[in-house]
Amino acid sequence: MATQATTKEMVTLTIDGKSTSVPKGTLVIEAARQVGVMVPHFCYHPKLSPDANCRMCLVEIEKMPRLQTSCSTPVAEGMVVKSSTSTQAQEARKSVLDFILANHPLDCPVCDQGGRCDLQDFSHEYTATTSRFKELKRVFQKEYFSPLIETQMNRCVQCLRCVRYCDQVMDVKALAPVGRGTLTEIKAFGAHELDCEFCGGCVQICPVGAITSRLSMYEFRPWMLKRTDSVCGYCGDGCQITFQTKNNDLIEVNSTQGSGRNNGDLCARGYFGYHVSEHPDRLTLPLIKKGNEFQPVQWEDALELVGQRLLDIKAKHGADAIGGLISGRCTNEDIYVFQKFMRGVVGTNRIDSSVRYGHLNGVHALQRVQGTYRWSVSFDDIVSADTLLLVGTNITETNPITGLKVKEAVKRRGAKLVTIEALETAIGTISNIVNLAQHHLGVKPTGYATAILGLLKAVVDQGLLDGEFQAKSPAYFNDVSARLQALSWDSIHGQTGLASDAFKQAAQVFGRGKEVVILVGPGVLRAAGGFGMTMNLLDLLLLTGKIMTPGCGLAPLAEENNDQGAFEMGGTGAVLPGGASLGDPEARNNLSQAWGRPIPETPGSSLPQMIEDAQQGKLKALFIVGENPLSSLPPSSGIHSALEKVEFLVCQELFLTETAQQAQVVLPASSYAEKDGTFTNTEGHIQSVRKAIDPVGDSRPDWEIFSALSVMMNDPMEYEDVKQIGKEIRNLFPGTRTLGPAPLPAQPDSSSIARYVTVDYQRDMATRYQLPTNTTETEEITLQVSQSLFHSGKFSRKAKGLLQVEDRGKIYLHPEEAARRGVGEGDTVKVSNSLGEVIVPVGLRERIPQGVAVFPEHFDEEVRRLLPYSIDPETQVPYYKVARVHFEKLARQ
Amino acid sequence: MAEYEKILLKNMEQPGYSGSLADYEQAGGYQAFRKVLNDMQPDQVIEEVKKSGLRGRGGAGFPTGVKWGFIPKDHPGPRYLCCNADESEPGTFKDRQLMERDPHQMLEGMAITCFAIGAETSYVYIRGEFRLGAKILEKAVQEAKAAGYLGGNVLGTGRTINIHVHAGAGAYICGEETALLESLEGKRGMPRFKPPFPATHGLYQKPTVVNNVETMANIPHIINRGGEWFAGIGSPPKSCGTRIFCLSGHVKRPGNYEVPMGIPFREFIYDVGGGMRSDKPLKAFIPGGASAPFLTPDHLDVKMDFEAVAMAGSMLGSGGVTVMEEGTSMVWAALRLMEFFYHESCGKCTPCREGSSWMTQILQRIWNKRGRTGDLEMLDELCRNIAGRTVCAFGEAEVGPIQSTLKYFRHEYEALIREAEATMPRSKEIPVMTH
Repeated sequence: MATQATTKEMVTLTIDGKSTSVPKGTLVIEAARQVGVMVPHFCYHPKLSPDANCRMCLVEIEKMPRLQTSCSTPVAEGMVVKSSTSTQAQEARKSVLDFILANHPLDCPVCDQGGRCDLQDFSHEYTATTSRFKELKRVFQKEYFSPLIETQMNRCVQCLRCVRYCDQVMDVKALAPVGRGTLTEIKAFGAHELDCEFCGGCVQICPVGAITSRLSMYEFRPWMLKRTDSVCGYCGDGCQITFQTKNNDLIEVNSTQGSGRNNGDLCARGYFGYHVSEHPDRLTLPLIKKGNEFQPVQWEDALELVGQRLLDIKAKHGADAIGGLISGRCTNEDIYVFQKFMRGVVGTNRIDSSVRYGHLNGVHALQRVQGTYRWSVSFDDIVSADTLLLVGTNITETNPITGLKVKEAVKRRGAKLVTIEALETAIGTISNIVNLAQHHLGVKPTGYATAILGLLKAVVDQGLLDGEFQAKSPAYFNDVSARLQALSWDSIHGQTGLASDAFKQAAQVFGRGKEVVILVGPGVLRAAGGFGMTMNLLDLLLLTGKIMTPGCGLAPLAEENNDQGAFEMGGTGAVLPGGASLGDPEARNNLSQAWGRPIPETPGSSLPQMIEDAQQGKLKALFIVGENPLSSLPPSSGIHSALEKVEFLVCQELFLTETAQQAQVVLPASSYAEKDGTFTNTEGHIQSVRKAIDPVGDSRPDWEIFSALSVMMNDPMEYEDVKQIGKEIRNLFPGTRTLGPAPLPAQPDSSSIARYVTVDYQRDMATRYQLPTNTTETEEITLQVSQSLFHSGKFSRKAKGLLQVEDRGKIYLHPEEAARRGVGEGDTVKVSNSLGEVIVPVGLRERIPQGVAVFPEHFDEEVRRLLPYSIDPETQVPYYKVARVHFEKLARQ
Repeated sequence: MAEYEKILLKNMEQPGYSGSLADYEQAGGYQAFRKVLNDMQPDQVIEEVKKSGLRGRGGAGFPTGVKWGFIPKDHPGPRYLCCNADESEPGTFKDRQLMERDPHQMLEGMAITCFAIGAETSYVYIRGEFRLGAKILEKAVQEAKAAGYLGGNVLGTGRTINIHVHAGAGAYICGEETALLESLEGKRGMPRFKPPFPATHGLYQKPTVVNNVETMANIPHIINRGGEWFAGIGSPPKSCGTRIFCLSGHVKRPGNYEVPMGIPFREFIYDVGGGMRSDKPLKAFIPGGASAPFLTPDHLDVKMDFEAVAMAGSMLGSGGVTVMEEGTSMVWAALRLMEFFYHESCGKCTPCREGSSWMTQILQRIWNKRGRTGDLEMLDELCRNIAGRTVCAFGEAEVGPIQSTLKYFRHEYEALIREAEATMPRSKEIPVMTH
């Protein structure tokens, strides 16, 4: 982790008689907090720049004529500050509260903030019991604000925290103060309903009950709630959340200010998406298919059947006729026990997980070049970077909290941002990271490979190479340089629409950086050639000499909450838990010894391989845990015919998904809210997941089910509790030991790098360093099926809160592109290509480049049919997110 | 009656003077600018203005040369000049006349100031209601540009000096310099806390000078005739030069009058202004705009300069002198001003926002014969809890009328309250204001 080289100048001062030494530039209110003097305040917040508007934090400072706002006054040497020991300051606070309470309604009995309200707390401490205000209070008519967020402006104290948070932290600027004086109210910035990221930040930061959540309105009083700290189950950011429950019911979710990797910030999914676990469609009993229908049965019956069938198939066709697929949504313990069950009890290495859908490209590239399966940087390095490069991340919609780190770096600390994204600069209802870029290279979803090569070429052309490294590895440098010089700027321009100057300027910014982090996301990782592109980005770090520098590194963004953990726990068959290769004899030996079971000799299989094998009748049974490949993969993958051929399909799931409906046995699993365990976030940081409510119905944590199955198969693999599993994991793999507040980033291994730059790079250099062949016809549109901020897979479609923001798919176009084709918002169009056709409504979005259309993957039941399917030659990652399509306007319905 | 030399109003009082560039040049305009470009260094210009003793004419009266000197020399820039033409102080109308009748005088002052502080871009922030003034200024800027006084390469020196006219949208608070900067940046016009000051962190957080229209109008004359000359006029060393005072209220000849600082109010009101409009004697007057505390006939011999008026318990402020005759209700006068302040309070800080509403409601009740015992003590306490506790000087401004009328005319308040208590049944004790 990068640290500041200069030592900070310290300042000594006295607050309420207590002396302390703090870094120069510290605000008096912060210095006071450090010595235990709590200065009351409304508008001050450590995440926001001081506003000094509430006047509550006034303190007496010797030698200064008037009371000063401690939130906007930096400390000075020898300052003497009086807060609670100053009668003047205390009286000032009383008067500020008198003023605020003058227009504040007596809403406590009906206000959701009651019991956790700053105004209540300060009033209790500072005011008399009777108000002297005997005039008319100003009254605002209550207006509907939005489906998820409620405002009651009579209660507002005009601290503007919500406005400032939405502007400074989120960069959305959805809220604004409207009106003047006592008639100031907070409204959406524009005369319309609130339409924003629904991150819940304004609800969390409002000190009173002026902005509250509609989702949990009137359901509780804060003192009735039981709090459980856990980790969000949606995306790879791994935010700290607190489940607030009452009577075993999930009431709301929030995040403690300053805690977790997210620093207390959340997104719509984390803040409003918790109702997934309590959806009425939750499976409550095991199901066995009899004829064409499912019959609910007892656990013993279901497990006995599964155990028996698996043993039968193993005996008849061999253990490798059985395959397993597990979701990166499961906990580390679930995944570890699953792969131990599959390898150690069933006897096969044919396991795969959702890591295969894209995250593997990132991890495998890191392993191949720098010998680590985790990032060599952390969120803190992103915040303190001076240069950031974002490639294909669409970060606000995929990993919003990592996006906040980028925003903080740029907005608060002046970092330079270069973006290569399929986005245009535009103001919209959600934030747009490319608006903050110093250099933005806007590409089509098919243009990333060329753009990355263009940036590399510009780096080489302008000599922004690390001389020392170049001297040590001349062959590698010369080879790469030669290939890049062989590419023509004309061709690059033809494929991306970007001139060489754009790349050269971006390269200059990149080359000048001292602490450089490259973030790469699904736009690259899930696009054809994704692995090669990720490798090229690592080449970029090597060429500029950044790869070994602390604070620099490549950060592939994990999509699902525990994709990183799924890799580390051995969820992808060819990799053992702990990250070693299945082909590594020493690693297999050690594991085998520890388990007291042999590890099978046969190679692992990827999901695409298993599909092929199933189609050829070589895969007889499939055990799917939490995954829904019929819904995730397009028909062009052959998944339908593959699953039909599988004789015995077992699905362990929360809901009766499309895939589960095809199963012979369905086992009900518990969600992340109902069990203990750990998740590993995209940084590689392991965090505790805690049970907040009892398992729904008769569902069980995944690991318990595997354990019970092993007993049924006469090869018991039992654990008393989750802690025991955790202990086993930690004893086996040192890298899993940390459960502290921050991750310890991995160290790039110099021998791995040496091996790469001498021999290994040559393997696929030719393919990686040639321009892709592009054959786009002009009337075609590049369709990108990608993630929406408000959803995550199909999982989030069971969250009633999120459905209120987005409940269906539209094909989103740039307004000019739509106008050119004669369509407007709400029109229906027929979208087609050689693979099929589909009819969808149109939506308009200015941030989508022309010639591109975006469809949210969460509603892609029909649209999937248009997607072609290919597999990465090295990582076997399936690529199916981009298609070329024709548009045809239909008559208005 | 004494005749005083007009400096700022001189041109426009010539018959047939149109304010055009041709007329301005004929009257000697832009000579000072040429002098500065050809013969002077920026530091010298600042020195000359310091020597002149010129103090800001907007209301705060800060020494102009000293303010310019605060711009850091080693800052990479850019630097900005903002001319505060948001004249909104009730009783003040001098800047309007200066802009409408002799726009180039102020533009020349701005160009010289840009040279002195190293600014290439400057703005005139003119209140939105001055649509005629904005049009006239815009035209004058175009004239000056065409003649080479503004734009890139002014008068062939290679320097760039640009002036942009930017209209406000009807907020008194945007006359406060930091609120002006916020508004100019496209944000809601609410003041910033100081420090830091605009000189180091102004427009877009860059070094900025904010000066009033009249202050700018004085600059060409100081350059032409020297800082010493200017310092010899008026009431040196603290109050130099002339001021355009705006006389309004119950007088025979309300209007703008340019007089040297230091003449007594009596001379200004009775000689220059022609005295009271009827046989009713003077009851009270506001010496410097609505923010300035009221003064009484006892203060008629106070000199119209910064120090003397401050000693008398008020402020020279914007120079708006409003005269009230016997028969004017002081409670009504305070209420009228308080309603203005309530309407204009931006709402940023708690004491001003809530306090202005609270005090206005009390005053309205008192005026409407619905006052109660304890109201005056409440007003006193509210004033004490607002002044000195706010982000900007608006807090001090809004308590001025109430505090000063309570000081000198408390009996009027008390009489109204007594009347209320006697006539108003308890059951009808309803507040009056409905926002």
